[in-house]
Amino acid sequence: MVALNDTEATARRNSVPWLTLRRREAIEGWLFVSPTLIGFLIFFLGPLIAVVFYSLSEWNLLSQRATYVGLDNYADALTANRDFWHVIRNSIFFAAGLVPLNMALALALAIALCRPGPGVVFFRTVFFAPVVTSAVAWAIVWRFLLQGEAGAVNQLLAHVGIDGPNWLREPNWAMVAVIVTRVIKMVGLNMILYIAALQAIPRDYEQAARLEGASGWQIFRMVTWPLLAPTTLIIMVITTIGSFKVFDHIYLMTGGGPENGTLVLAYYIYEQAFEFFDIGYASALAMIMFVIVLALTIVQLLLRQKGSA
Amino acid sequence: MSGLKLSNLSKCFGKAEVIRGVDLEIEDGEFVVFVGPSGCGKSTLLRMISGLEDITGGDLWIGDRRMNEVQAARRGVAMVFQSYALYPHLTVKQNMGFGLKVRKEKPAEIARRVEDAARTLQLGSLLDRYPRELSGGQRQRVAIGRAIVGHPDVFLFDEPLSNLDAELRVHMRAEIAALHKRLRNTMVYVTHDQIEAMTLADRIVVLRDGRIEQVGSPRQLYSRPDNIFVAQFIGSPKMNICAASDLAGPLSRAGVDTSGAVQVGLRPEHLRLVPEQQGLMTGQVVISEYTGSGSLLHVEVAGVGTMLVLSEGQEGPRPDDTVYLAIDPGNVHMFDADGLARRAEDAGVSASGAMVAER
Repeated sequence: MVALNDTEATARRNSVPWLTLRRREAIEGWLFVSPTLIGFLIFFLGPLIAVVFYSLSEWNLLSQRATYVGLDNYADALTANRDFWHVIRNSIFFAAGLVPLNMALALALAIALCRPGPGVVFFRTVFFAPVVTSAVAWAIVWRFLLQGEAGAVNQLLAHVGIDGPNWLREPNWAMVAVIVTRVIKMVGLNMILYIAALQAIPRDYEQAARLEGASGWQIFRMVTWPLLAPTTLIIMVITTIGSFKVFDHIYLMTGGGPENGTLVLAYYIYEQAFEFFDIGYASALAMIMFVIVLALTIVQLLLRQKGSA
Repeated sequence: MSGLKLSNLSKCFGKAEVIRGVDLEIEDGEFVVFVGPSGCGKSTLLRMISGLEDITGGDLWIGDRRMNEVQAARRGVAMVFQSYALYPHLTVKQNMGFGLKVRKEKPAEIARRVEDAARTLQLGSLLDRYPRELSGGQRQRVAIGRAIVGHPDVFLFDEPLSNLDAELRVHMRAEIAALHKRLRNTMVYVTHDQIEAMTLADRIVVLRDGRIEQVGSPRQLYSRPDNIFVAQFIGSPKMNICAASDLAGPLSRAGVDTSGAVQVGLRPEHLRLVPEQQGLMTGQVVISEYTGSGSLLHVEVAGVGTMLVLSEGQEGPRPDDTVYLAIDPGNVHMFDADGLARRAEDAGVSASGAMVAER
């Protein structure tokens, strides 16, 4: 019997001439992706486009009236509004504090916990558990621990003779407290990424280096660290983006205070939109944040391409 | 340069004893190969010499220094890994100079020694490439180059050729042999491939279950194996082992005295196909494997079992053919109930002249 090619066979079986195998597969493919695609269009792309329009209008949620104002909202943010630059400065401070601390701690924990040994699984769980803990519970517990004189942290400090500040009530200390508690909550995620990367480095490298007389520090500096570079880069960008988007932690721990000391971009947007109902201005801020995050993402992609070239 | 002495060396991982009282002396400049089936402890023993595994019991001497507690880097050994362990982010030049750099040698001295080694191994044109840009054989040479650069007393090779294809393996084997001839360093080489062991070694150490089964030159191991394990491990195709009682008739007709032997070993190359009237055994060919220069025959001999026979020439017998076999009386290996070799002189009988003459 002469074998029919796919197109002929399909056409004959279906007796619908235009429905070739290729077209049939294409239709099936679109049907398979359609649930996600439709969801993406309605719940993601739609709002995104809407935000662009809102950002170009003056719209107070209470008055229900929107008027087109062009780029006024952007101009307002970038030039007239002193709060905006304060907020940007806070966001940068938050990222600059959180990212290095998070990464250094994650790497140190990963090195300590990457090889099998007594207690390793236990400690990995201990450091990863906060990642999957409810942010609300986490924040409430830490607010309790960081209370002025009665808080457990200050009581511990008092034991060693340090008179701790009222952490969440003083502008500078509040930011430090928010950063540190956020690092403790999220460090487990980066630790896992680093553990995976460390485990992917063949042990032969370390052993070869040891045989050639390299010290532990030399092995880390000359072999391990360079081989971790791609992972370090990804972790750095992801963590930076995450820190620019931080909201829940601020909302629950300080509400942006005291004296706007922890007022960061995402929280500021929320405040403008849902406390002051200034949707137009908030949308413009959201667009600015979108551009910042997009820029960081592009930087990440470029660096990754460069790294793999 | 220096020799090695392993004295009652043992190694335990938890409760499992993987090296059990190994005694061995390796002469200065000798090429010694550890060979054995996987899990026999050969790599562990090598890593104990290198210092990458600590020593549970016994003593290790390199030259006249006891090395048990000496750091790996201070033992004067260099190791070539099965995976090559070339750092992927460093060029060939940087890989080869790594050890000197961590020991804070001057850059000019590093460059000089790397270039020396590169010349020895014909790596000159590859110095600025990264490992991923090299072929398997080139990577292997770089790994050897990295070992040479440090001017070690002893080279350790851990199955260095097992990641290469068959052709390249033969080529690199010859290069390693040539390198040993030129450098005259002590070399200890681990492999599971008995051909590699036979072709490279001054002496072979056959290991099984963490113990030495036999130490000797390739020729000694082939012609005078101490036990059935060595007899079957060394030589390809494998030696036929049969019950002595089953072969008593043919062997006595061949003039071989089997008294005291429980098992008898005959290598496939020492069984000859002969015309019917000269035959000591009759068998039927079950399988015939054509190898080019001849054929490997699986011959079913009634009352004995299947025997491997190497037949030379293009026109060998075909399956189902009846064949007649002669035994080479000088190459019959006899073993006692424990599988240990029984030599003619053990029994006090002077038979099989070839075996005695070989002493």
